Amino acid sequence: MTFQDLVTILPFAAAILLAIGVIVADIVAPGRREPVLVVALGGLALVALLTVVTGTTDATAFGGAYRVDALTTFLDILFIGIVALTVMFAPDYLESRGLPLAEFSAVLLFAMTGAMLIAASADLLVLFIGLELMVLPGYLLAGYHKSDGFSTEGAIKYFLLGSFSSAIFLFGLAFVWGLTGTTRVSEVADQLTVQMATGGLSAGLALGLAFLTAGVAFKIAAVPFHYWTPDAYQGSPTPVTGYLSVGPKIGAFALILRLFVEALEPVKADWLPVVVGLAVLTMTLGNLVALTQTNVKRMLAYSSIAHTGYMLVGLAAYATGRMEGLEGLLYYGAAYSVMNLGAFAVITALQRRAGVTSNLDTFAGLGRREPFLGILMTLFLLSLTGIPPTAGFFAKAYVILAAVQASQAGATVLGVLAVVAVLNAAVAAFYYLRVVVYMFMREPASEPPALIRGRLLWAGLVVTAILTVVLGLIPGPLLDIVGVAARAIG
Amino acid sequence: MDGFPILTIVTFLPLVGALLIAFLPASATRPVALGTALLTWIVSLMLVIGFAAGRGGLFQFTIEVPWIPIFGIEYKLGVDGLSLLLVVLTTTLSWISILASFKPIQTRIKEYMISFLILEVGMIGVFLALDTFLFYIFWEIVLVPMYLIIGIWGGANRIYATIKFVLYTLVGSLLMLVAILATAFAFQAAHGGDWTGAFDYEVLRAYAAAGGGFDPSLQLLAFGAFFLAFAIKVPMFPFHTWLPDAHVEAPTAGSVILASVLLKLGAYGFIRYGLSFYPDAAQTYAPVIIVLSLIAIIYGAIVALVQPDLKKLVAYSSVSHMGFVTLGIFIFQPQGMEGAILQMINHGLITGALFLLVGVIYERTHDRTIAKMGGLSGRTPVYVAILGFFVFASAGLPGLSGFVGEFLTLVGTFAVSPPAAAVATFVMILAAGYLLWMFQRVAFGEVSEFLKGLGGHLTDIDAVEILTVAPLGALVVVFGLFPGILLDIVDGSVTRALADVSTGAPIALEPLAVAAALGALAAVVGIRVVTLPMFRSGSPAEPAA
Repeated sequence: MTFQDLVTILPFAAAILLAIGVIVADIVAPGRREPVLVVALGGLALVALLTVVTGTTDATAFGGAYRVDALTTFLDILFIGIVALTVMFAPDYLESRGLPLAEFSAVLLFAMTGAMLIAASADLLVLFIGLELMVLPGYLLAGYHKSDGFSTEGAIKYFLLGSFSSAIFLFGLAFVWGLTGTTRVSEVADQLTVQMATGGLSAGLALGLAFLTAGVAFKIAAVPFHYWTPDAYQGSPTPVTGYLSVGPKIGAFALILRLFVEALEPVKADWLPVVVGLAVLTMTLGNLVALTQTNVKRMLAYSSIAHTGYMLVGLAAYATGRMEGLEGLLYYGAAYSVMNLGAFAVITALQRRAGVTSNLDTFAGLGRREPFLGILMTLFLLSLTGIPPTAGFFAKAYVILAAVQASQAGATVLGVLAVVAVLNAAVAAFYYLRVVVYMFMREPASEPPALIRGRLLWAGLVVTAILTVVLGLIPGPLLDIVGVAARAIG
Repeated sequence: MDGFPILTIVTFLPLVGALLIAFLPASATRPVALGTALLTWIVSLMLVIGFAAGRGGLFQFTIEVPWIPIFGIEYKLGVDGLSLLLVVLTTTLSWISILASFKPIQTRIKEYMISFLILEVGMIGVFLALDTFLFYIFWEIVLVPMYLIIGIWGGANRIYATIKFVLYTLVGSLLMLVAILATAFAFQAAHGGDWTGAFDYEVLRAYAAAGGGFDPSLQLLAFGAFFLAFAIKVPMFPFHTWLPDAHVEAPTAGSVILASVLLKLGAYGFIRYGLSFYPDAAQTYAPVIIVLSLIAIIYGAIVALVQPDLKKLVAYSSVSHMGFVTLGIFIFQPQGMEGAILQMINHGLITGALFLLVGVIYERTHDRTIAKMGGLSGRTPVYVAILGFFVFASAGLPGLSGFVGEFLTLVGTFAVSPPAAAVATFVMILAAGYLLWMFQRVAFGEVSEFLKGLGGHLTDIDAVEILTVAPLGALVVVFGLFPGILLDIVDGSVTRALADVSTGAPIALEPLAVAAALGALAAVVGIRVVTLPMFRSGSPAEPAA
């Protein structure tokens, strides 16, 4: 290990130290939340700063296993933002249920280091380690409310299916390693190019590809590998659900970018049809099932499945040779994180007391009682629907643009995909707007739930709301950034 | 006034008002809302004064600011004769609607006025946008406030109606988004990957006119998507089923704006985008659209004839009247299109006024059933006189503005297809039938038991209510006597729009096809009419007209 290696992994190392630092802060001042919050949020700002500073130049470390490029920097900042917002949303919710904040923050930060490792991995083994480091804390978080039966149930389902899919994924990696003799991403790509030029896709590689796809599809909750999602999301403590719906999803897409877009790039013609099929199934089924939900958390769980489908449209467009597909995928990831975290933060705000459900009835009359909260929720829901001028609209328009381009360049199936995507968006309008109906057009059924009025949570809400509007009105700067990030690998 | 961003001001002035209302105390809500709408109206009138009618076909006061440079998307606004008229129509009806809402809307006034002003931003923006992406954004912005206005301040079945309205509109508009993106990309691909101008209306229009224009298969698909979006908005038969529900449930002012302005968005879209971008596809689709328009004209009139509810009657008459608009556009004749545009304006004025008048009587009776009215002329003579005026205007009485648009449309249609013109003319008689029959049942005869029961609550129309309909009445007279005022302004736009489509092959309208379609329609209408509850439970006999 050289000094240069250390400089390259500085943000990653700082993130690990930060996770430990949070635990230390809790040991020094047990049970007090201010030190934990100051260390966690201050530390995250520092890590973000380090990421930006060291990310300005591309670098590799540890003999090429660890790589920092524009994509790494973009994804790292996104992860840091997600975790910071989650830390802001959680304290009051946890406190009223007697759950400790320090462990929560530390576990969350460890998950973040996993995601950062995925984003920086140039080696299949590092990729796998990063994946496990990201998802294991996720299981802990899902079951964080251990006296709540639903939380435990969701965590067990999440854990069992998650470890199962990790095993499948690892099995697929073994095939790729066996048939190419290397675990370095770039060398795998070179080997595959040679193999494709000489003999086409071998049976073993096809099998490996199938295992890898299935494993990844579990992680991003693509249909038909989505069964763990609704229970895990509904059972988890609400701030955790918010995190689970974006963090591990973006992390898994980072994995797809490093694995499918980089290492398996030479065989993209073979995984394209699978991605198209997954996208259609995921969008359509996610939306149709979401239509019938009366619990908002569960509805958002199914809708998050549908959003995975829209992001897969971008991936499919990339596989037919459109860089815009990749840019759209990254833009969508950022926009989705912001608006979905915002929506979950509103639900969190409603659940000050333990036992408050997230049924639609809870939202009845919210717009009249709490206009500010009602308007923010409406904004997030409109953005999730894809109504301009919001982040969600521009994200959707971008992936559809990529698909339309691909279709006109010859890949007709992408045109079909674009139409399926917009029809799905119309279906989604129904269930998102139903929440608005409850908030503004119905009388409250019973005693309204007490609200969390913590300053941190409301500050986070305002931040996500502003970002949701700004990313829709002035998409230019983020477009430039995702353009640079996408070119790092495409 | 060059360099002065007057179009930006007229578009976003209502937004400023909405923000003011949000932060000022509740007592200021109504004055600020009305003041903002009036100010916007005055600015739009300044636009008329500054507008050079001689160059009516060209965009004036244009403003152009790069917005999303890597795709060449711009914030670009401009006004030509067509959009000028529609913007003034919007600003006029906006302040009238806000004034008309003072009494009926008593709950959550703040939210109501904010929604209304944001709605105005979206409507004006749609008419002024000269960038397809910007156009789409304004198009969707219109949706949300209308959804709230119907859903929060509407009638008993409002939630069903508002969701239906949103879903219908959204299916069409999202496909339109795909078409906008596909068109932009086709342009970009033809220019070596350069996005500059790919969303610019004028650039795309020039590209469509020069050489072969867009690829024929792209034209067919893209026009199809635009057609669906606009046809739902107009609404054309058979996409009209959301309209009666939305009208019946919406508060009075919501109905007024819906009928007067929102329906025009679709017709405007056809002229501005459909014809200019995809002339070949427009020619291909024209026979279908003409037949659908004829069906809408007849179907709307027949169904209006048997409506028991005043608002539903006016709603179905809108379907019929808007059929003249789409007929006039797609007949591709100068008179036809001028007639269509006049019909858009006049329908906005007259139907807006009719909805306001229905609102006036509803305020007093809390009922809109025609059968419960009767003998109003004895109790509320001023109201009945005004209602009679607008009923005659809507029925197309010569000398009032409703006549001119329909007449010009028919002249244009006759030049292309005499059978189609004959069918449409016949419906003008039908229109006189349903409107006058309704007027007779409401105004004359014995005072009904229901109205007697109201006693002193049944007061005549008051000063504020007269103030809301008087400007519309004045315009109906002026435009009826001097339609040339409007024609001078839109003349250039019509010429340019028709020049755009003339590159395509002329349309061939088979009389047989028209007859077959009408036969099918007759069957549908027949079944529909005999199954109406009104006919099952023994309705009053139809008097001789």
